Amino acid sequence: MIKLENISFDHCIKCTVCTIYCPVARATHHFPGPKQSGPDMERLRIKSPGLLDDSLKYCTNCKRCEIACPSNVKIADLIQSSKWRYFRKAFRVRDFFLARTDLMGGVATRASFLVNFFIKLFPVKFFLDRFMKIPSERRFPRYAQGTFRAWYKKHRKEQEAFAEKAVYFHGCYVNYNNHDLGKDVVTVLNAMNVGVIVTDEKCCGVPLIANGYIDKARKNALFNIESLARSASESGARIVSASSSCSFALKHEYPNLLELDNSAIFDGLDYITRFIHERFEKGNVPAMGPVPVRAAYHSPCHLERMGGVMNTIEVLKKIPGLELTILHSECCGIAGTYGFKKEYYKVAQKVGDELFKRIERANPEIVITDCETCKWQIEMSTPYRVEHPVTVLARAIDGKKL
Amino acid sequence: MRYDCVIIGGGLSGLTCGIRLAEKGARCAVISTGMSALHFSSGSIDLFGNEGEGKIVFRPFEYLEKFIGSNPLHPYARCGSSRVREALFYFRDQLDLEDIDLYNNDDANHFHVTTLGTLKPTFFSQRSVFNEKIRLAFEKKSKIAALNFEGYRDFYPELAVINLKRNVLFRNIEISSGKILYPDYGDPQRNPFEYRSIDIARIFDTERYLEDLAAQIRTAAGDAAFAAMPAFLGITNFKRHHQLLQQLTGLLIYEIPTLPPSILGMRIDNALKSRFAALGGVYIAGDTVRGGTIAGGRLESVFTENGGSSALYAGSFVLASGSFFSGGLVSEFSRVREPVFGLRVYSHAERSKWHAQEFFPRNGHPFLEFGVETDERFNPLTDDGQRLGNLYCTGALLPHYNPIREGSGGGVAVSTGYRAAELILAGNR
Amino acid sequence: MKRIETEAIVIGGGATGAGTLRDLSLRGVRAVLIEKSDIASGTTGRNHGLLHSGTRYAVNDLESARECIRENKILKKIARHCIEDTGGLFVTLPEDDPSYHGKLIEHCKYAGIRCEEVSVQEALRIEPNLNPNILAALRVPDGTIDPFRLTSANVLDAQERGATVLTHTGVSGIIREGDRAIGVRCRDRRTGVELEVFGGIIVNASGVWGQEICASAGIALRMFPSKGSMVIIDYRINNVVVNRCRVPSDGDIIVPGDTVSLIGTTSKKVEYDKIDEITVDEDEIATLLESGEKLIPNVSRTRVLRAYCGVRPLIAVSGEMDGREISRGIVLIDHERRDSVGGLITIAGGKLMTYRLMAEMAADLACAKLKVRKKCRTQKTALPGSERKLDQAKSVKFFTGIPNSVVGSTLYRHGQRIRNILHREKRNYGLICECEMVTEGEIEYALKKLNVKDIVDLRRRTRIGMGPCQGQLCAYRAAGLFVKYDSATSAESNKMLVDFLEERWKGIKPVLWGDALREVEFCYWIYQGLFGLGDVRFPEEGEDR
Ligand SMILES: Cc1cc2nc3c(=O)[nH]c(=O)nc-3n(C[C@H](O)[C@H](O)[C@H](O)COP(=O)(O)OP(=O)(O)OC[C@H]3O[C@@H](n4cnc5c(N)ncnc54)[C@H](O)[C@@H]3O)c2cc1C
Ligand SMILES: Cc1cc2nc3c(=O)[nH]c(=O)nc-3n(C[C@H](O)[C@H](O)[C@H](O)COP(=O)(O)OP(=O)(O)OC[C@H]3O[C@@H](n4cnc5c(N)ncnc54)[C@H](O)[C@@H]3O)c2cc1C
Ligand code: SF4
Ligand code: SF4
Repeated sequence: MIKLENISFDHCIKCTVCTIYCPVARATHHFPGPKQSGPDMERLRIKSPGLLDDSLKYCTNCKRCEIACPSNVKIADLIQSSKWRYFRKAFRVRDFFLARTDLMGGVATRASFLVNFFIKLFPVKFFLDRFMKIPSERRFPRYAQGTFRAWYKKHRKEQEAFAEKAVYFHGCYVNYNNHDLGKDVVTVLNAMNVGVIVTDEKCCGVPLIANGYIDKARKNALFNIESLARSASESGARIVSASSSCSFALKHEYPNLLELDNSAIFDGLDYITRFIHERFEKGNVPAMGPVPVRAAYHSPCHLERMGGVMNTIEVLKKIPGLELTILHSECCGIAGTYGFKKEYYKVAQKVGDELFKRIERANPEIVITDCETCKWQIEMSTPYRVEHPVTVLARAIDGKKL
Repeated sequence: MRYDCVIIGGGLSGLTCGIRLAEKGARCAVISTGMSALHFSSGSIDLFGNEGEGKIVFRPFEYLEKFIGSNPLHPYARCGSSRVREALFYFRDQLDLEDIDLYNNDDANHFHVTTLGTLKPTFFSQRSVFNEKIRLAFEKKSKIAALNFEGYRDFYPELAVINLKRNVLFRNIEISSGKILYPDYGDPQRNPFEYRSIDIARIFDTERYLEDLAAQIRTAAGDAAFAAMPAFLGITNFKRHHQLLQQLTGLLIYEIPTLPPSILGMRIDNALKSRFAALGGVYIAGDTVRGGTIAGGRLESVFTENGGSSALYAGSFVLASGSFFSGGLVSEFSRVREPVFGLRVYSHAERSKWHAQEFFPRNGHPFLEFGVETDERFNPLTDDGQRLGNLYCTGALLPHYNPIREGSGGGVAVSTGYRAAELILAGNR
Repeated sequence: MKRIETEAIVIGGGATGAGTLRDLSLRGVRAVLIEKSDIASGTTGRNHGLLHSGTRYAVNDLESARECIRENKILKKIARHCIEDTGGLFVTLPEDDPSYHGKLIEHCKYAGIRCEEVSVQEALRIEPNLNPNILAALRVPDGTIDPFRLTSANVLDAQERGATVLTHTGVSGIIREGDRAIGVRCRDRRTGVELEVFGGIIVNASGVWGQEICASAGIALRMFPSKGSMVIIDYRINNVVVNRCRVPSDGDIIVPGDTVSLIGTTSKKVEYDKIDEITVDEDEIATLLESGEKLIPNVSRTRVLRAYCGVRPLIAVSGEMDGREISRGIVLIDHERRDSVGGLITIAGGKLMTYRLMAEMAADLACAKLKVRKKCRTQKTALPGSERKLDQAKSVKFFTGIPNSVVGSTLYRHGQRIRNILHREKRNYGLICECEMVTEGEIEYALKKLNVKDIVDLRRRTRIGMGPCQGQLCAYRAAGLFVKYDSATSAESNKMLVDFLEERWKGIKPVLWGDALREVEFCYWIYQGLFGLGDVRFPEEGEDR
């Protein structure tokens, strides 16, 4: 029996527009597309859960269907919440590990050298492939030595000295895999006379949601809302995140999917380029040296959904010397942990194909994108290095080589 | 964020307006909830096709001259017929820059064949739908082959052929029908019986299937001089592939609109968005404007669903949010309202008067004529009677015209969008 | 003139007529059914499909209540695929008289209906969408019954046993020979062809129209028509039948049916000569939605798909009474005894869910007249498709490769006959109606086996066009398939497309606001703006041929 909270499917007028823009439906016909998997099937699933089709697992939650829908149907949310009902039955060790980025990161960063080494070895890959159903073609992001938080602790004092401050939600990736991005955020914000506050946080929940750990995701979400809100109100600061997926989760998945009240942080929370762009517009532009690089910018799906793409573009346009090509908006295919699963690997690569081709045609030196998983996917599938816009900004500011 | 102009609604009207403004150097943002009506339209731009009571308009501009006098509230009357002409040809030139050729029969309407084989008067059509060669072929009574993919559920040529044959123009034209098969295409799990036009368009967009398709079309068409096919001959590489197909088959290949999604409409949508972006316009998709701040008879800023409290400021605003279908108008149990600013709306008080008794009535459905009341400068009034001098309402949102009965949907969207841009530009000068 | 000779003639293809035809066929009697429109197009297709437990009648009409619970149990066995054993609740709202609750429990005991008191909390667990402010709740064995499938399955079984079915054929008069009725005159409404059918016994099962049939045989029989209106909402907002625990009144019940829910019903007297023109009134819709919202608050946020009404086929016993007070009792009339006209019997009144009993009574009498001494077997003989318990998991496994949703929906609609419909050929399971998961294979089956003459009939057999879009995409596809499967010419197909959309429009018109209006705007753009269907000229008969 279903309690009906998300009844947005009721507004669907069966116009078929969403089916055009779904990158997965384009890549594989195992997936019948957003219209059928979302609003059409929802009516049937309400009637009887037995009518649920497995095929909806193929949805990557990229939200492109929602952007296209003229009826404001929360198509992807409908699909995700049905996934939970399905996933609850099929627990998998792999999904558990992929979902627990904080747990895994906590362990791996203590011996990052070993983990990074082992995960490349053939027998390990074979094991992952055969028994964990993680495709051997897939490259893993490297784990870093120690955590970002540990680094930050040493710099807390100086950050707190700034008059204006921003609460920075760094996310698992910065904490465990890429400290440099976190440091770059500090560089950029400091250059704009903004201090960086780091407070207690848990994994934003994106991988948990994708793998059906909803209760855990809700728990994390409540924790984050409370912690960020407290920290922001204490320091009178805005909250920023430099991961488009974390920001999207904090801002939109919490209320829409997890059905939690996030009004305490909703208005104060920005994806970082919005925060920067707004200050740029008011004249707070730090001194920047030229970054003479040919770059192609890829806009991640979740940033598209938030409507934040133009902020990143406007900010990048301000960097002297940067030669920027804006790629046609396409999904890269990885969708967080999706591309790590053997059964979806091929689909993920096919989804990304269009983007990879476009990157090639743009012939850049580097690719810029806001999302860490897009970065992994593009670096694995093309020969190009991928950087975060904040990193490019930081190089313009500190003059180091990009 | 601050812009010169913020346009609410990224359909035919909003984008035409945005392109004109951006071209003149204005910093513009378009915000759109979702995809627009173009995704379903025939892809032909109707100007004025029917007088009503089944009488067809052959020369729309001439007709407008008299029509405007007796219908002063009609959006065309508020533009003026010479401005309507200016807007339409401007629109054609813009699409031309994006590689979409529109056909027009000088100042006269031409007829395109509908999915059910009736003829519909329209002003611009894509050249794959109508062109001089097709006209000549008709005049010469050349044989037509209506072709379709085996198992394509969204087009049934038989249903069209019977109606075409009843038309005097086609009386003596031989029409055959034929089937072609999907090329060996990708994943064997696919169920081709569930393909939509978009899936097939992607096949045509893929270079390597073209020869196979051409060979099949050639055979299926037999001795016909041209082949009529559902409009699914590609999107991204359409122009080149269409020419290639005609060369390879030696046939004239033309397209008939079919069930949504409309490939013909999407081509125009893509072209408009691409043109707008090329001129520096910002297109924010998937966000909805929820309201605005009004002070002293002016709209100062608007806020959106995703933006929360951070507002978008602009000197002028355009509301091109479409009709009920797109969410520009909202109907409730006993009233019709404009949801973003609560603007004054033209409608009927009694719900039973919103519609005609038959589904296919002689004179159309009244609800199609509802919309936001404006003055001759397309400025609306708020519910408490305040005129908003820097907000312009355009397109399907407007009242006092019936796009389906008149055959005027596209024309009104284009000319009012263009007109709003001109008024904004004039105001800034 | 065409002539058909048979043993028994049944007039009316509602549940009662179809049941009678099947009952006769099971007893080996050759029979012809004549229906002026389509199977289940009369009152049978215009109710809320409640498989009464009898609770609703327990206080006022004990006899009906007993009939209900008896038939309820039988139908759950013989018509499994037409029935959902959802269970039902009777809930007391704060404004309702609390004493009715106790009274109902007591009367259910007399009638032999299992009626169990449940806590408010438990009621909310059973039906989470229920108004949380209810004061008390009872659980009863209500269920739902799909009238279209039920009637169609009866007809199908009869046909497989040799019966003849003439749909779209109206009876224009009874042929009498002295004091006997010996046959009927009828006309095929689609071709205009006239024919006469002769038989030893005529069963008038034409529901509320029975008065006309009797009149044409010179017999006076007065019907007491009372209109009831209902609205259908977009999805299944409740999973158990929700009744309001009070003296029967307007807007008392919300019934889940397939993928939708129905709010019923009102009761208004209508003049007999207006029964073919009735429409749903504005105030009825307001009443139904207001009352519905009290039972399930989500009603106010949900799209209304359509509104429709039916006429209760009650035979006036005496005087003027409120429509609802009259017994729904079954009326079987032997016109030989009542009016001295031999060869004709009338069966009327009752309920959808007592159709089998009514059929048994009519067939018993008919057989007595025909001197056939066979016993009724319908209590025990399952309808085609209902032979075994429906096991979705098993079917899904059997049809691996076809989506669960398609297998499940087909099984739900056709029971075991799914094996005659689905197979693992892509054409077969390609979707035509995307809202209700109707495949090309199901349509082909319906066209060939289920007496489908146009898209409106097809809708009753398959649910095509019954979902939220009301036929926007599938109507055109269906019209194409009629031609593809040689069930109509292209010209006929065009015409039936118009007829179908006009038919759909009748039910949408009264609820045209909100998303329903958006849907209509879109649909009208497609069929008029894009297709020009309204401009298609339909030449007079024969002009084309
Ligand atoms: C099926 C169909 C077929 C048609 N065929 C033809 C044809 O053959 N020829 C012809 O000339 N015309 C045709 N038309 C009509 C024509 O396409 C429309 O009249 C025209 O496109 C309207 O353009 P518009 O820009 O005013 O509105 P729309 O195209 O409706 O665009 C409005 C946009 O505004 C967005 N929006 C709404 N509210 C908000 C908000 N609050 N915030 C942000 N965004 C918002 C919507 O998502 C939508 O994208 C057809 C229309 C349909 C539906
Ligand atoms: C609003 C309402 C709600 C109801 N709810 C329920 C409920 O929830 N549960 C329940 O069990 N019952 C319910 N009923 C009662 C139930 O619908 C009817 O009792 C039952 O459908 C009657 O079936 P029938 O076959 O006797 O009549 P009908 O279904 O009316 O069949 C008569 C048929 O005869 C045909 N006919 C008429 N004249 C001619 C002619 N001249 N020639 C050929 N054919 C002719 C008609 O077209 C029609 O198809 C409800 C009734 C109404 C009005
Ligand atoms: S979220 Fe992305 S993958 Fe999922 S249905 Fe929507 S468009 Fe397709
Ligand atoms: S785009 Fe929205 S309204 Fe259209 S079919 Fe998809 S969900 Fe429905």
